[in-house]
Amino acid sequence: MRRNLWLYRRCLGAQLRATLEYEGDFWIMSVAALLTQGMGFVFLWAIFRAIPQINGWRFWDVVLIYSLVALTEGVAVLLAQGAWTMAVTVNLGGLDTVLVRPFSPLLQVLSSQIGMNGLGNLVLGGSLFVAALVHVHATWTPVRIATAALVFACAPLVKIGLNILTNCSAFWLKTPWSMFPFAFHTLGELARYPLGIYGLAVRLVLSVVLPYAFMSYFPATAVLSLGSAPWLGLLTPVAAAWCLLLGRWAFRRGLTRYESSGS
Amino acid sequence: MARIEADDLRKVFRRPDKGPGLAGSLRHLVERRYTEKAAVDGISLRVDAGEAVAYVGPNGAGKSTTIKLLTGILVPTSGEVRVNGIVPHRHRIENARGVGVVFGQRTSLWWDLPVRDSFELLRDMHGLGAAEYRENLDRLVEMLQIGDLLDSTARRLSLGQRMRCDLAAALLHAPPIVYLDEPTIGLDIEVKDRLRTFLRQVVAGGTTLVLTTHDLGDIEDVCSRLVIIDQGRIVHDGGLRQVIETYARERVMHADLASRPVSLSGVAARLPGATVTEERDGLGVAVAFDPLAHTAAAVLSALQQEAEVVDLRIEEPAIEDVVRRMYAGQLDAAPGERTGT
Repeated sequence: MRRNLWLYRRCLGAQLRATLEYEGDFWIMSVAALLTQGMGFVFLWAIFRAIPQINGWRFWDVVLIYSLVALTEGVAVLLAQGAWTMAVTVNLGGLDTVLVRPFSPLLQVLSSQIGMNGLGNLVLGGSLFVAALVHVHATWTPVRIATAALVFACAPLVKIGLNILTNCSAFWLKTPWSMFPFAFHTLGELARYPLGIYGLAVRLVLSVVLPYAFMSYFPATAVLSLGSAPWLGLLTPVAAAWCLLLGRWAFRRGLTRYESSGS
Repeated sequence: MARIEADDLRKVFRRPDKGPGLAGSLRHLVERRYTEKAAVDGISLRVDAGEAVAYVGPNGAGKSTTIKLLTGILVPTSGEVRVNGIVPHRHRIENARGVGVVFGQRTSLWWDLPVRDSFELLRDMHGLGAAEYRENLDRLVEMLQIGDLLDSTARRLSLGQRMRCDLAAALLHAPPIVYLDEPTIGLDIEVKDRLRTFLRQVVAGGTTLVLTTHDLGDIEDVCSRLVIIDQGRIVHDGGLRQVIETYARERVMHADLASRPVSLSGVAARLPGATVTEERDGLGVAVAFDPLAHTAAAVLSALQQEAEVVDLRIEEPAIEDVVRRMYAGQLDAAPGERTGT
């Protein structure tokens, strides 16, 4: 485990160095990330100017959920962006070299790219997160602080696990594009708002089938004691472990189908 | 002791059966048809420690697929494979510690990093100690002459430079088994020669080597055993000398001449058994000869007595010729050793 973490950091570090070969790319991506997340925030603010409460959620409560999505996205992009390379890697037979190195193939794939636009997400998400924590109506008892630390730390793992799972579709689809997993990523964006505003089908998908809501909404309910079942948010670590295991399972299944490429 | 053991190995690929053009692709959307093709169709192979095996065959014969099965990259459809006593596709990490792999068409170096950084990443993955790493690296740098390439990014290397660095990357952990898939493809003669010298040294050091190639030169220089595969099956497995002497004995010397008048029959008379033909409108001569009957020096001297030779090259038979001739009803090289059809 320690060896894996160390090697993971080594690979990411190497990618960081490789990425800095292309400086222009870094700045464009960072600004793009800031703008995208910033736009969403302006949208939220505009809505709450008209409606002060949605299902009992006040403006800063929703900002907390929103900032969690930006933060988890930032962490996933910065630390595990390699998941999104799977389509191309599988299509072009790039796993060949990965599979003959003595380090977990999945960890090699995940650390094969570092998304510097993650920094943009982290900066904006972090600022909104701090501002939201200051403004929400919550008394910060030690228990609440411990709960927050645990569920917020596990939230990004949910996203990383789901990224792996959806991107593993590459082993079955064999196309060099990530359209299919990206469609699910877009679905996951729905988790920026309180789940209660959606119909039953969407709620089921986001909390059970592909539990994107565990990267933002559920952790927030646990910390703010809001929503119909705040205790559900305490299951965030379980959801994170479940998503990561699903991802690993899909990757292993996928490897048995891997066909490399000619010659 | 057998390092590599494969028993009745099969790999079947399912390919969508589409008609020609866009119409065919569209029809496939509603009417899904597939054909199954066995790229590797029942291969059994045993390679002992220290053996150097050339694994050859025409394009699409299943060479690369076999290598990918032996290295655990692909999971076989059926059959058994064991390398260093473990099943490679079930224990990939363990397997990777004991083998080195080079794909001629693909680099294992990190594209945007200096070569040295790639080596250090591999060092850490293999868990090599500092002293062991330095010793191995120094040896490889010297043998492959890559000292001044270590600080360039892989992206900037020429094909020949990249191949040498890839070989070093595959051998850093001094694996007992090395697989090379088309290691000399696209390289010029000088680099090829240097690589072959290097591979001979590696084999002399006791490493087991499996090499796929199109180039008969690679095989003659490095390997002692030849496995020929066609359509996924082994058609010959045995000594190399024997096959080459039976099917690939003929060399062709092409000579460019200073002036036109040359007596073809005069050259032929000096070299009984050789075939002499005119080339380039009489300004060149091609002599096909058997090296056991005439040395290259004798052929050259025969030519020089008839004309002034300004340039020459010697053409070796290609492995495709060997396979083709073996098929042309001449499959008597080693009838006892043949498996499959």
